[in-house]
Amino acid sequence: MKVVIFSTCVVDLVFPNVGKAMVEVLERFGCDTELPSRQICCSQITNNSGYVRESQKVMRNEVDSLLSIDADYIVGPAGSCVNMLKEYVVRLRDDPVYLEKAKVLAAKTYEFSQFLYYVLGVSNAGAELDATATYHRSCHMTRLLGERHSPYALLARVKGLKLLPLPNLENCCGFGGMFSMKEPEISKQMVDEKVDSVLATNAQVLISCDPACLMNIGGRFNRRGEKITIMHLAEVLNHNVDMSRVTYVKDDPLTLAEWPHDAGMTAELIKEA
Amino acid sequence: MNDNREAFLNAIAEKSGRPRHQLQDHPFQPLNDLPETTLAGKSPAELLALAKQNSEAVHVTFLTSAQADLPAALSAYLANQQPKTLLLPTDERLAQYGLSDWVKQVTPTPQYWVPGASREDNLNAAATADVAIGCADMLLAESGTITVATTPGQGRAFHFLPTHYLALVPASRIVPRSRQAMDYYDAELKAGRLTTSNINFITGPSNSGDIEMVLVVGVHGPLDMTYLVVTDA
Amino acid sequence: MAIAYSDKPFKVRLAESEQDTFMQKAVAKAQDAQWTKRTASRNELGHWEQWRELGQQIRQHVVRYLPDYLEEFADNAEKRGAHVYFARTDKEAAAYIRELAERKHVQHVVKSKSMVTTEIDLDQELLKIPGLSLLETDLAEFILQEDDWDEPTHIVFPTLHKNRDQIHEIFAKIGYKGDNDPQHMARFAREYLRASFLKADMGITGCNFAVADTGMVNLVTNEGNGDLTMAIPPTQVVVMGMERLVPSLKEAEVLDNMLARSAVGQKLTSYCSFSSVAATGESDGPTEYHIVIVDNGRMNALGGPFEEVLQCIRCGACLNVCPVYRHIGGHGYGSIYPGPIGAVLSPVLRGYKQFGDLPFASSLCGACTETCPVKIPLHSLLIKHREVMMNELHMDTGLNKVTYKALGLATGTPAIFHMGISVDHSMTALLSHHQEPTAQNYFMGDGIMSKLPFILGGWTVIRDMPRPPRAKDNFRSWFKQHKQLQEAGR
Repeated sequence: MKVVIFSTCVVDLVFPNVGKAMVEVLERFGCDTELPSRQICCSQITNNSGYVRESQKVMRNEVDSLLSIDADYIVGPAGSCVNMLKEYVVRLRDDPVYLEKAKVLAAKTYEFSQFLYYVLGVSNAGAELDATATYHRSCHMTRLLGERHSPYALLARVKGLKLLPLPNLENCCGFGGMFSMKEPEISKQMVDEKVDSVLATNAQVLISCDPACLMNIGGRFNRRGEKITIMHLAEVLNHNVDMSRVTYVKDDPLTLAEWPHDAGMTAELIKEA
Repeated sequence: MNDNREAFLNAIAEKSGRPRHQLQDHPFQPLNDLPETTLAGKSPAELLALAKQNSEAVHVTFLTSAQADLPAALSAYLANQQPKTLLLPTDERLAQYGLSDWVKQVTPTPQYWVPGASREDNLNAAATADVAIGCADMLLAESGTITVATTPGQGRAFHFLPTHYLALVPASRIVPRSRQAMDYYDAELKAGRLTTSNINFITGPSNSGDIEMVLVVGVHGPLDMTYLVVTDA
Repeated sequence: MAIAYSDKPFKVRLAESEQDTFMQKAVAKAQDAQWTKRTASRNELGHWEQWRELGQQIRQHVVRYLPDYLEEFADNAEKRGAHVYFARTDKEAAAYIRELAERKHVQHVVKSKSMVTTEIDLDQELLKIPGLSLLETDLAEFILQEDDWDEPTHIVFPTLHKNRDQIHEIFAKIGYKGDNDPQHMARFAREYLRASFLKADMGITGCNFAVADTGMVNLVTNEGNGDLTMAIPPTQVVVMGMERLVPSLKEAEVLDNMLARSAVGQKLTSYCSFSSVAATGESDGPTEYHIVIVDNGRMNALGGPFEEVLQCIRCGACLNVCPVYRHIGGHGYGSIYPGPIGAVLSPVLRGYKQFGDLPFASSLCGACTETCPVKIPLHSLLIKHREVMMNELHMDTGLNKVTYKALGLATGTPAIFHMGISVDHSMTALLSHHQEPTAQNYFMGDGIMSKLPFILGGWTVIRDMPRPPRAKDNFRSWFKQHKQLQEAGR
C-alpha cells in the first residue's frame, strides 16, 4: 500500500525525529512511503491569523503536492494539520476545480494514530517504553477531527508504559498558532497551567499526537527549568519494537469493548459542503 | 401601533436581504420529536417515583397522601412549621380535595388571596404569610417542577412572598416533562379556556450560587418547599 | 455601564487580570465544577447532539424570519395590553424608559438581572431622575451595585471575581452585622431587598425568550427575584434584544431546558415564568407593561458572516469552557459580553476599533463551539473576524503585515520554503545557546533559541524554541537518504 507522508512544517523545521519515527512505524506495517517535495504547510498559521486570501495559494500548493503522487493514503503526524487538510473542502469551495481535488484529499488523509489503528488495524505496535507518561489530547485532533480514542488504545498496549491521567486534559495548552506569539501574556498562563498539570502527574514523559503542542509545552518546560521528556506518539510506538508483540484490532478482545471515535466537527462541515 | 415599528422591521428585512412576511409559507417544523419522546411511556407509578427522586434532588420535601388523609397530613405539616400566619388561595380545588371543613378549623386561621381585593391587601397577606398552601396544576417528573397558572384567587406573589410553601398536586397530573405541561397550557390558552397572564414553572426553593459558587437555598422566594402529591386525585 | 466598560488598552487589562490570582482560582474552580454538572445534566437528558440540532434549528428559524416574528409578538403583546417600543440605539431605549419613569412619577425601581439593561446603561440613565431609588435584586448584581457599580465578570455569575470577605465588607457598609457565611449574607440581602420590592412602583426585567404567538415573555431565574419584579410593581418594563424570540411556548420550553443544563447544569432553573400584563381579576402583576425591543448594533450581524451570533441564548457555557477566559476572566475582555461569545459579539455590536483585539485573544481550541447548545460556530467566527480585519479592512500595518504576507508567500512557494529549510545552520548560531536543557528529546537541532527577533519574540519571551537542525539532518534530507539506502538494499 502506497502512503504519502504529509510532513507538516513543524516536523520539517524542528522535529525531524517525529517524521522519521512515523515513516519507520508505517514501513514496519507494510506501507510504501513517499514524500512529495513541494508540500510545505497546511496554511493554518496564516489562515487562522486572518490572512485568508493569502492562504489560498498555500492550500492549493499543498493539495497539488500531496496529490502529485498516486497513493492510497496520505498520513500526517499532527492532528491539527491533518484536520486543516480535511477542512480544505470548505475553504476551497469557491473554486470548483480545487473543491474536487480537496474532496479527494480529504477522503484519503489520516492522522497517524487513526491510520495505524483504524486503517492498518494495528492495536499493539510491538513497542516497549519503560516509563511513566501522560498524554496531551490536542484540541483540534479531539474536537475538530473528533479523535478521542486511537492514541489511548495504542498507548495502552505499549509494554512497560504506565499512562497517567492528565488533569484538565480538555484545556488547550496555549499554542494556537500565532496566538502563542501575538498574545504571550495569555498563552503563558495557559501553558503554565498545562505544565503544572503534567508535573502533577509525576510523569517522566509527555506524549501527544500534535508536534506543535509539544513544541509549546516543551519550550515552556525548558524555560521553567522543569524536567520532562517530550515524545510524539510515533516515537513511542517506534521504541524497542519486538514484532512478536504485535496484535491487530480484529484479534484484540480489548478493543471491542472500547468506544468508537466520534465524527468531529469537521466531518459535519464536510457533510454540509 | 407605534410609528417606529415599521421602520425597525423594514430595516431588518433590508439588512438581512430577506423580504418580510414569508413566515406563513415557512412555519416552524421541528426536526425531531425529542421533547415528546424523552421519558415517554412511563407508568403512573414510575412517574411518581421519578418525580419524588428529582424533587428531592432540588431540596424539596416530597410527601404523598390519599385524599382522605389530606387534612391530617396538612395539620402535621403545619404542626411542624408552627406558622403564625397561613395563606390559602381562593380556589375551588381545595374543596375538590375535600378540605372545606379542614380550612374552617385549622389554626392559625387562614388568610386568603382574595379575588377582587386590592393589590396592597393581597400582597400584604402574602408578604406576611409564614406558610402558604397552594394548588399546583401539574408536577413534572423529570425536573421536580410544579406548574401554576395565575388566577384571580391565587396570584403571582402567592408563590413567591411567603416564607414556607406547600403545593398540593394531584397524582393524576404528574407528567413526564415540561413539554407535556406546555402542550396543555398552549392548547388551553389558544382555545380561550385559560385567560391567565402568567404561568410559573417552579423547581424547588429559590437558591443562588452568587457568593463563591456556594449553594444558598432560599434567597428571594420561599426558604423551603414541600410538594404534597394527592395519590388518588 | 454600556457594552464597553473600560477604556484601558487590552494589554493593560490583561496585565491586571494576571495579578488577580483570586479571580483566576475562582474562575478555574467554577469552570471545573460546571464542567461536571453541565456534562452530567446533558448526559442525563440523552441525545444531546440531536437536542443541539433542534436548538439551532429553532434559533436559526427565528433569525431568518425575524421581522415576521417580531411583528407577531408585538401584535399579540399589544392585544394583551402591552406597549411595545422598538429602539434602534441604546440611548433611544434608555431614554424611553427614563421618560416613562418620569411620566409615572416613579420613585422606587427594582431590577432583575438583565444583560441588555446593562448594555444600554439603563441604571445610570434612570438615576438621573432626582430622588429615584434603583436596586438590582439579583444577589450578584446587588453586590456589584453596592460596590459602586463594579464590573461584572461573567454573564451568568457576575461576581465570580469576588470572595466572601470582599462581599462581607460591601454588606457591612449597608448595615450587615453578621459573619461572612454565604447563607447569612444571602439572608441579609433577602431582608434588605424584600423591603425594596414591597415599595417598588416600577419593575424592570430582561427577557430570555419572547413568545411570538402568545405575546408572553419568558424569564428564568434561580433566586425568584425576577418573579417578584414581575408581581409587585404596578408598572413593568421588559427590555429585550431584538433577536430573542421563539415561535411558541413549545420552543421556549425546549430552549429553557437546554439553557438551564448549559448554564448551570440544572434540568430547569428554579423559576421559569411566562408572563404579560395582569389579566382582568388578577390583583398583582403589572397593569402597565412596556416592552422595549433593542437593536443597538445587532442588525450589523444580519445578512453577513456573523448572523449566527444572533442564535445565542446567553447560557454562558462557552465562557465556562474557555481556557482564555479561565485565565483573564471577564474583566480582561473589557466588554459586558466576555468569553468566546463576547469576542464574537462585541465587535459586531461596537466595531473593531473598540473590540478588534478580542477575536485575536483565542487559541481557537474549539471548546466553545463544541459546547454551544445552539451550535454557533464560535471559533470559526473568530477566524472570520480576523479575516475581515486583515483582508477587508487592512487593519494590520507595518512589520506585522509584512511578516504575514512573507509567511504566506514562503509557505505557498516551494522554492522559497526549500531555501528556508536548507539555509546554513550557522545562520541561527547567534540566536542559539547550548545550556543543558531540562526538556529531553526536544532540541533536535543542536541548540536552544531563547531570544528571537520580531514576531517570534512573542514565542521566546516565555518559551524556548528548538534550533532548526542542520539541512543535512532535517526530515527531508533524512527521508531522501533513507530511500537511497532502501534502494541500495534491494
